[in-house]
Amino acid sequence: MKLLLNLVRKDFKRNPAITTALTVFLILAALLMAGGLRVAGTMISAYDGLNQKALPPDYLQIHKGEYDSAALDRFAASQDNIQDFLTVRMLTINNANIIYHGETLEKVLMDNSFVVQNQGFDYLLDMDNQIATVKDGEIGVPVYYADTLGIATGDVITLKKDDYIKELKVTTIIRDAQMNVAMTSSKRFLISPADQEVLSLHMGEWEVSFEFLLKEGVDTGILEQAYAAANLPANGVAITASLLNLFNVFSYGLVAMIIIVISLLLIFMAMLCLSFIIRATMADEQTAIGEMKAIGFPGKAIATLYQLKYQILMGVAGIIGYLGAIPFGNFFAEAVVRYCGTGSNPGLKWVLPFLGLLFLSGMVAWGCHRVVKKNLHSTVVELLQGAGGRRREGHYILPSSGFKHTNLTIALGELTCKWREYGVILLVFIFVAFLMLLPMNMKQTIQDPSFITYMGVGESDIRIDIQYSSQLTQQQERVLAVLENDPDIEKYAIYKNGYVQAENDQGEGVNIRVESGDESVFPLAYLAGQAPVGKNELALSSMNATELDKKVGDELTVVYGGETMNLTVAGIYQDITYGGKTAKAAIDFNNQDVEVYILYLSLADGVDLDLKTNELRGALPDIKATPVPSFIAQTLGGIVDNLSRVEAAAMVIALLLSALVTVMFLKLVMAREHRDIAVKKAIGFTNRDIRIQLGIRLLVIQGLGILVGTVLANTLGEGIFSLMLSSMGATRMTLLIQPLKAYLICPAIQLLVVAITVIGGTRAVKHYHIKEQIME
Amino acid sequence: MIKVEQISKSVKGKSPVGNMAIETSILKEISFEIGRGDFVAVMGPSGSGKSTLLYSVSGMDQVTAGRIVFDGINLTEMNEESLSRLRLNKMGFVFQNAQMLKNLSLFDNLILPGLVAKKEKAQVIRNRVRDLMIRMDIDELGGRDIREVSGGQLQRASICRAMINNPEVLFLDEPTGALNSAATDQVLDILEALNDEGTTIMTVTHDPRVALRAKKVIYIRDGEITGEKEFPVGGDREQALEDWLKRV
Repeated sequence: MKLLLNLVRKDFKRNPAITTALTVFLILAALLMAGGLRVAGTMISAYDGLNQKALPPDYLQIHKGEYDSAALDRFAASQDNIQDFLTVRMLTINNANIIYHGETLEKVLMDNSFVVQNQGFDYLLDMDNQIATVKDGEIGVPVYYADTLGIATGDVITLKKDDYIKELKVTTIIRDAQMNVAMTSSKRFLISPADQEVLSLHMGEWEVSFEFLLKEGVDTGILEQAYAAANLPANGVAITASLLNLFNVFSYGLVAMIIIVISLLLIFMAMLCLSFIIRATMADEQTAIGEMKAIGFPGKAIATLYQLKYQILMGVAGIIGYLGAIPFGNFFAEAVVRYCGTGSNPGLKWVLPFLGLLFLSGMVAWGCHRVVKKNLHSTVVELLQGAGGRRREGHYILPSSGFKHTNLTIALGELTCKWREYGVILLVFIFVAFLMLLPMNMKQTIQDPSFITYMGVGESDIRIDIQYSSQLTQQQERVLAVLENDPDIEKYAIYKNGYVQAENDQGEGVNIRVESGDESVFPLAYLAGQAPVGKNELALSSMNATELDKKVGDELTVVYGGETMNLTVAGIYQDITYGGKTAKAAIDFNNQDVEVYILYLSLADGVDLDLKTNELRGALPDIKATPVPSFIAQTLGGIVDNLSRVEAAAMVIALLLSALVTVMFLKLVMAREHRDIAVKKAIGFTNRDIRIQLGIRLLVIQGLGILVGTVLANTLGEGIFSLMLSSMGATRMTLLIQPLKAYLICPAIQLLVVAITVIGGTRAVKHYHIKEQIME
Repeated sequence: MIKVEQISKSVKGKSPVGNMAIETSILKEISFEIGRGDFVAVMGPSGSGKSTLLYSVSGMDQVTAGRIVFDGINLTEMNEESLSRLRLNKMGFVFQNAQMLKNLSLFDNLILPGLVAKKEKAQVIRNRVRDLMIRMDIDELGGRDIREVSGGQLQRASICRAMINNPEVLFLDEPTGALNSAATDQVLDILEALNDEGTTIMTVTHDPRVALRAKKVIYIRDGEITGEKEFPVGGDREQALEDWLKRV
């Protein structure tokens, strides 16, 4: 063993650059693997812990207006699978009436409800995950606002409508298992029952949520169908636990998922590099291996000798990766801990990374063993013949008319002979380009104004919501009057939003949110068909079309206000708002059934978006005006923030990886070609010529890698992005690419990093002594 | 043409016992001259420093002290870039084991230095290589892989490559060390002919047969010249060399 360790130590000394680069590579893979699993462990524990304490409902139905509570009680009593039932009264207050630090919450897209603590289940928890309590004059603020607006305990929230003002002191920050994440578009403030009653006399609108907790193992679908069949109050959206789970997993899990995927790809790359290095080392040491075999050194001991080094490296990388994953994982899991707490099983964040690293070590050990064993199969004679047994690389032909660009011609010629050697590094460069571009393109797409088309609307600049008032119609008329006379506004359209009942293919009734208005003002690109024309047509969001099993040309029966209508599906579009389930039809909603009036408007050229938004907010204090880019960002919640983090991390990892692999590869190539380098020097090539030739070879491969990586990021990446957003309702995404950034700046940075690494890495050519290299 | 003035070379290392830092002297204040058209053979026992001397004189190895003046230019003061250009245009080099680039055919290996130098048109260079190959009796092998030709053929090809840019001086390191007797005679005939045509030659050798073709022999032992003698044409050169080698 001592002998083996000695040999390993000597090998480290002989190839410090390769060994260091490989170690960093393995550390990076271990760090990401352990870090991703730490985030996952923290997330599982935190999310589970929050749900155990808060007991969110399995099914809830929002309703506005009158309802028969006795009928609901009878229904709950008649269903064996219901464990508990709750009617939650929510006082929804316009954001313009909620003031914090002298500013209204108009900038915030969220709908804000003021609720009292529930009894039995669906508890709002404090930051210690205990059931939160507030006294009169106190308020519990959602952790989302603590996070995004910086609201803290001790602050004051003012509620103001006309002359009425109510101040509430923030005494607790609320964790809400149902509406915690940015992707759920409503938030709940906790107030005392007395405050809720008083407030309701002056502002806001009552909404109720009928919430059901099911017995263990009962499928939500059964209750959903039973509820619809019982003809119970349901003029709002119905939400299932699985939809909430989806939002939560998407919000909390996205980063962990991306890190783990990157780490898996990195492990794949590390395995390729390891295999390449082992093969290169063993090919160069065939004579030594032959001699060891010839003097009777057991094959197992030779295999151990060559594997030991990499196992030691993996051990070191594993320890560093595990320790490094603590701050790394904590950084990325910070949000989930803040929103959910440390949870029910804090040990998971220690165990999962450990298991992950065991898996990684196992993979490395197995990979090494396979390559070493394969290379040890040769006979002693074959091994002693050494390089003679190596695969021939073939010839390239010098140009008959002489050199125009000597180094370029030679580098390209050599590349055509040695292309097999470059397979690994080509894969790494493809991966690097892909890794850098995909998050960047995703972010670019989400931030582009045209992304609004995935929200079921054509391109526009500002969205105005008019809701939560008993005077919606009057408000709406006032808004229209302002817009009509404003020369800064190029065009606008108003849409009434309400619910109708439709029948799915099993004949069950489902509530569908319908938008009614002039669809020609902001034309939308339809996945299939076109915008509905007249009163007999409707368009469905793709999620609704799938769920109702309808395609263009099919008929759908809808019921509104007691009237049954047979509408033809004219078009199918993508929409990620309202859980992806919306429709467009010319339904003549009664004013009291309009949940919200939404206006979209386009500004004239040269009008500043933010200034105009503020101006509208000032002129129309009761409405919610949101610039479309903020609307997109807020609808997608933390995805944009997460993508920014991932984009930055991906760029650092990708560039580091490029540099590391370039160093490693250069060292191996130079070691393998030391004789050729010496010959070139002897016949008159300068060190600079040789370095340029090595550089050109790598940069050409990198160029190819960037090309393939870019194509993959735009094709495969588009698929990945569509898959990510399909759960939200957008099934066919087109990645929007900023050509300057994606096709020029990004490749230029990658090429620059590799070029600088080549300049540094080939410096050793100067020290390649012709005599020593040739006589060796 | 080449003036070697008081050159010394030493390398730093560690002593086998005690792992102490030591400095080993390889060449010790060596001086000699090579005139245009000379054929100089450097002989000496293994480890005497003769290869180091050859590589130093050709500018491929750096000396610790002294000067090497080639056609009036001090090689020890030239940078790597200029030395490379000098090697390309004015020197030819032949190694003990013929060293060629694996990714070129034998013919392309031979024309490469000519194309890199860009002194003449490609066609002129190709024609010259063909002529040289005919002269060296390897004209049938041009398209072959370098692993498909014998050691003697490869060594003759190395001489072709070294001659492609019409060098002023040809350096050879044990040119016949890896050859059989017949191949050795063939190579030596060629070298003698080239020298007769005016090419200056400096070669390192163990082989008295090589030294016998040289006009001057330098004997080196432990990094110092212990003998230097010209062997004029005529008389029993073999016996004279043998006697001299016994003395030095």
